[in-house]
Amino acid sequence: MKCPIQSPEHAERLLAYCAHKLDSRRAALLEEHIRNCPECADFVQGQRAVWQALDTWEAAPVSPDFDRRLYQRIQQEVSWWELLMRPLRPLVVRQGLPIAAAACVVMVAGFLLQRPAELPPVVVPAQVEASADQVEHAIDDMEILRELNHLVPPDASPRM
Amino acid sequence: MSERVKPDVGVAAAALDYDAELMLRVKEGDGASFAVLLDKYRLSVVHFLFRMVQNHAVAEELAQEVFLRVYRSRSSYEPTAKFTTWLFRIATHLALNAIRDARSEKSQERLDDDTSEMPLRQVSDHQPSIEQYMMYQARLDEVRHAIRTLPEKQRAAVLMHKYEEMEYAQIARVLNCSESAVKSLLFRAYETLRARLAHMA
Repeated sequence: MKCPIQSPEHAERLLAYCAHKLDSRRAALLEEHIRNCPECADFVQGQRAVWQALDTWEAAPVSPDFDRRLYQRIQQEVSWWELLMRPLRPLVVRQGLPIAAAACVVMVAGFLLQRPAELPPVVVPAQVEASADQVEHAIDDMEILRELNHLVPPDASPRM
Repeated sequence: MSERVKPDVGVAAAALDYDAELMLRVKEGDGASFAVLLDKYRLSVVHFLFRMVQNHAVAEELAQEVFLRVYRSRSSYEPTAKFTTWLFRIATHLALNAIRDARSEKSQERLDDDTSEMPLRQVSDHQPSIEQYMMYQARLDEVRHAIRTLPEKQRAAVLMHKYEEMEYAQIARVLNCSESAVKSLLFRAYETLRARLAHMA
C-alpha cells in the first residue's frame, strides 16, 4: 500500500479514516499500514486531537426572533414592490381589464369614424322685445343721420 | 403567500434533491416551502457564519441576508446544483466579504473579542466549576484562534468539511474551485491545525 501521507490527494484517506467515513475493508487496510508507518500514526493521532478540539466549539443558539426579523424584512421588500406597482396593479392583476379597455377603445373609435360630420347648430334668432321708446329713439337717430348726410358734400372724406 | 402548488413542479429537481424541489415551489409562490427550507437550514447557516466571522450578531445578520437573497432569487432559481451548494455559496460569499470589510476597517479585534455570547458548555452533568469553565474557555479560545488564523478559503473549507460534513466535490462547487484544490486546501489547513491543536488531545 502506498503511504497516503505522501500527497494531499492520498491524505484524504487518512482524513476520512479519522472521521470514521471509510468502509470497514478500506479502514482495515489503512490500520494495517498505520501500524507500520510512524508518520501516518502521528498524522492520525494529531488529526483525532484536532477533531476533538473542534468538537468542543459549540455555536450559540439562534435568536428566537430570527424568523420574525427575516419575515419582517421580506414583508418590507414586498411592501416596497407593492407601493411601486400600486398604480399599475389594477391593469396587471386583473387580466380581463386590459382586454375590456382595448375593446372599449376600438368600439369608441369605430363609432366616431362611422358618425356623419356634425351640422352646425341652427341658430335661432332670439326674439327681441323692443319697447316703443327704443323704436322711436332708433327712428330719430336714423333721421338725424339722414340730415347730416345731406349737409356733408358727397366728395368729402375723413382725414386720416 | 399561497399554499402548496402543483404537485408536478420540479420533477427534474426532485431527482437532484428534495430541497431543490422545495425551492422550485417557492419559485411558484409557495411560502410554506420557504418556511420548510428556513427551518431546515437556519441553524447550520448561522453556525457556519458564526464560525467564519466569530461574532454572533454579525453571523445572524449575514444569515438573514443569505435567506433574503434566497427569497429574492426565487424567480430566477434553476436547480443546476444541490440546494445546499447554492445556499452555502451565498453564505461563504457574504462571510468572506464581511471578513475582508472588517479587516479593511481594522475592526477585526472587535469581531474577534466577542466571546460574551458563547454558550456555557456543560462539562459534566453538574454545573461546571470555575476551574472547569476557565479550562473550557481557554481551550475554546485556542480553537477559535487556530481557526481564525487560517487563510479564509482554508477556514471555509474546514468548516464545511468538519461541521457540515460536505463532500469534497460539494465544497469545490461552493468555493468555485477544483476538487483537487479542495483536497489541497484541507490538507494544508489540517496540517496547520494539527500543529496548533495536537497538544489538546
